[in-house]
Order: sequence, then C-alpha cells, then structure tokens
Amino acid sequence: MSAATETPARRMTPTQRRRLSRAVQYAVVAAVVIALAVVADWGRIADSFFQIDIAAAMFPEVWTPFWNTIVYTLLAFVFGMVVGVPIALMRVSDFGPYRWFATAYVEVFRGLPALLVLFLVGFGVPAAFPGIQYPGGVYGQVAIGLGLTSSAYIAESVRAGIQAVPRGQVEAARSLGMSHTRTMITVVLPQALRIVIPPLTNELVMLTKDSSLVFVLGVTTATMELSKFARNELTSEANATPLLVGGLLYLLLTIPLGLLARRLEKRGDTR
Amino acid sequence: MNTEATPIVEIQGLHKRFGDNEVLKGIDLQIAEGEVVCLIGPSGSGKSTLLRCVNLLETPTEGTIVAAGHDMTAPDADLDLARRDIGMVFQHFNLFSHMTILDNLVIPQVRVCKIPKATAVAEARRLLAEVGIEGKEQAKPSQLSGGQQQRVAIARALAVKPRLMLFDEPTSALDPEIVGEVLSVMKGLAAEGMTMLVVTHEMGFAREVADRVLFLDGGVIVESGPPADVLANPKTERARSFLHRVLHPVD
Repeated sequence: MSAATETPARRMTPTQRRRLSRAVQYAVVAAVVIALAVVADWGRIADSFFQIDIAAAMFPEVWTPFWNTIVYTLLAFVFGMVVGVPIALMRVSDFGPYRWFATAYVEVFRGLPALLVLFLVGFGVPAAFPGIQYPGGVYGQVAIGLGLTSSAYIAESVRAGIQAVPRGQVEAARSLGMSHTRTMITVVLPQALRIVIPPLTNELVMLTKDSSLVFVLGVTTATMELSKFARNELTSEANATPLLVGGLLYLLLTIPLGLLARRLEKRGDTR
Repeated sequence: MNTEATPIVEIQGLHKRFGDNEVLKGIDLQIAEGEVVCLIGPSGSGKSTLLRCVNLLETPTEGTIVAAGHDMTAPDADLDLARRDIGMVFQHFNLFSHMTILDNLVIPQVRVCKIPKATAVAEARRLLAEVGIEGKEQAKPSQLSGGQQQRVAIARALAVKPRLMLFDEPTSALDPEIVGEVLSVMKGLAAEGMTMLVVTHEMGFAREVADRVLFLDGGVIVESGPPADVLANPKTERARSFLHRVLHPVD
C-alpha cells in the first residue's frame, strides 16, 4: 500500500490504462485490415462481385421477385398478427383450455423449422386432404406456411406486451364498468402493441429473410422471390454479382424497417 | 345524517384472506347516502383491501356487500353494471396513458354508458373545468403534474355518473405542496353531497370534511365515530399511539 502511494509514477491511472487498451485495439484492427487489403486479389473480387453489365442485365426483371418478396412478407405478417394476437389473448386467459391450447400452439410452431412448416403446408396437407385449394394459390400457401411460425413468435411478443401493461390500467378500466373484453380492446391491447413494436419489427425483418424459403413450393417466374432469382442468375451467369444485387435489395427493405421502428419507439416514449 | 333511508353501502361479516394471511377479520359497516367516511389506520391494517372489496376489485372470502343498490356478492351479480355506480380514485391515478386527457373522460362514457360522442365531449369539458383542468385536453397524462393527473382521475370517475366514490390514498403519491389542490376538489365533491369512502393519511382533511372516521387495525374496525371523537379523543390505546405517530412523527 505505502509503496504504491510513494511511487505513483510507476503505476498507470485507470484513464491511462483505458487509453492504452484502446490504442492496442485500434492497432489490431488496423493490422487485420491492412493484411486483408494486401492479401486479397482485388481484381478477382471485382470480377466475381462487381460486374456492372451483369447487374444492369438483372433490371428490370428483378423488380418482380423484389415485389414478390414484399408481398410474401406482408401476407405472412398479416396472417401472423391475425392468428398471433388471439393466441396471445388466449395465453393470458383465465379459462384453462384456452391457455393450454395457446401454449401448445406456441410450443409447436415456435419449435418447428419454418422450412418444415412450409413443406407441411405446401405438400403434407394437400397429400393428406386431396382436393384442398389454398386461396390465392402459392400466395395463400406462403401466408399460412410462413405465417404459422410467425404467429407463434408474434403471440409470445404480444403476450409479453400485455403482461407489461401496468395492473392499475386494468383496475381503472374495470372500476369504470368496462367488461373484461372491453378493457382488453380499449385499454390493454393498444398499450401492449405499442410496447411490442420493436420485437414486431424484428419479426417483420425475419419474415423478409424467411421469404427466401418460398422456393421449396416450386415457383414460376411470376411468383419467384428475390433469393431464388439471384441464385438463378448466379447459375446462368457463373458470377456472384447477382448475389450482391439481391443482398442490397434485401437491405433496401430491412434497413428502413429498422429506422421506422426506432421512430415509432421514440413516439411511444412521449406518451 | 338520515338513518332511516336504506344505506348506500352495507357490509356484513366481511372477511378477506390472501392465502394464510387474513387481512379483514369480520367487518360490518353501513354508510348513508351523502355521508363522507374516512378510513385511517396503520399500513397493513386492511383499509385499502376493505375499500377494494366494496367494488369487488378484491373478491371477499366471506360476507356480503351491497353497494349503490347492487348486491355485489350475489353469485350472478352484474359487476360491470354495478361499478358504473361506484367511482374509484387510485393512489397512482391510473389514467389511461395512451389516451389524451379528453379521451380519458370521453371513452368511458361512450364505451360504457353508450352516450353519443358529442354529448360525452361536452360533459368531459364540463367536468375538467370543474376540477380546474383547462387547456390540457389534447395532452397525454404523462405531461401533467401528479396533482393535475389526480384531478383528471377524479373527473374521469365522475364521468360515468357514480352514486358513490371510493378514494384509495388519493394524495399519498403527491408532493406535499400539491396535496391541497386534490383535497379541495374532494372537499367540493363532498359539499355537493357525494357519498365518499376515503382511505387517507390526511388527518386535517378527515377532521374537516368527514362525517365519520373509522380506525382500522389488524383487519377490524377498532374505533368509529365523528372525527372530533376518534381523532381528538381516541378511546383505545392502539388508536392513540397510531394518531400520535402520524401527528408527531419526530417524537
């Protein structure tokens, strides 16, 4: 103890130590970046990913799969909300059978891979019930196939939101003479949905990417989504540029979603 | 006090247990129309539970409750209908946080009483003016001070035209300097003849406004009478030491 106080110059202060550690981290990152830049074969990378003419040739055809990606995502999300919110309400119900059913539903569809559910909807169900017709053809299949998985996640998010609404809000509503159902619709759900905007946006982003699974249903040029289109181009051009274009188009969808969520969240804060 | 008319609140043999913990151990209480009754007592004495049993926010374990003409403890009681006649004001206001101040008063009227929107808005404005809240109609509850929120909460409870008002420590969450603005609204309400059951630690309010003060301890009513008797000359040692602690906290 006394030695340390007598020779302060030999020991670093916390600030000095933090600065040194920061400097070491910067040095490591810089070294890695420089090494990569030196080692990489830039000509080859440019050839595989940045061929302007191949990228240009994808337009305007790429807008059809781009649009389909949006449509599939929205269909699945709407299905997920329409089914997920009631499931969430059943999970917090004081009627046992509702709770059991909702719990089983969530466990099943949260636990199964989206790909498997999509197969089940696309091939399993039609095989078991011959003659079954999904409304909207492949669009109906996607809405249900991706929506089932999504609804389980949405139900869990919304349930968490419902339980995060302060108990006093319910008591105030009930003491004014609102019924249980009326309280849910007028007071609890509007507040719960505001609370779960961030996880719901997350779900929408996940769905945007999961729409790339739709190819397993067997799609035509008209119903193709972005990933399948990019992979087809990859094969026919023997070049990776279509993957880059496809990836950028996904980001064109998901990044604005993230920004939107942040804005909605901020608006919720001022309530 | 008109003792011949049927009481607006009639509680008989009320017991309330939470698991092994018996919070109310046999309460009998009658409140006449227009009477203001203050419930005082140490924390954990069961006064909030008693209040919350009146509109059945808590379900009694035993006993019967008749309030505002409704048999609350009947197995087939329509509690939603009954609660319109029993307003409640909470310690933490519990205004609907996602609605504007105006909607906090309008929506209950429209949804619960099926009053046309235009009528409800006019009534909401009248009530807000009455509790001294003006120019805040489009604000959200969080933009108001605690005292303002509590006055809005009183106006909201009045919006569905109750015959009886329950107050659960309405000023306990407020800064001392704004307690007065809420108490004066309550005083005005009492002067208009509203029947009120008030859980409070404001002995000054109890002394000035209450017709009767009940001292609760250990789940039973220990003392009951006019404020001058209960507050100034408590008969039991329990009440005396409680009042001493409240009025002279430093000793």
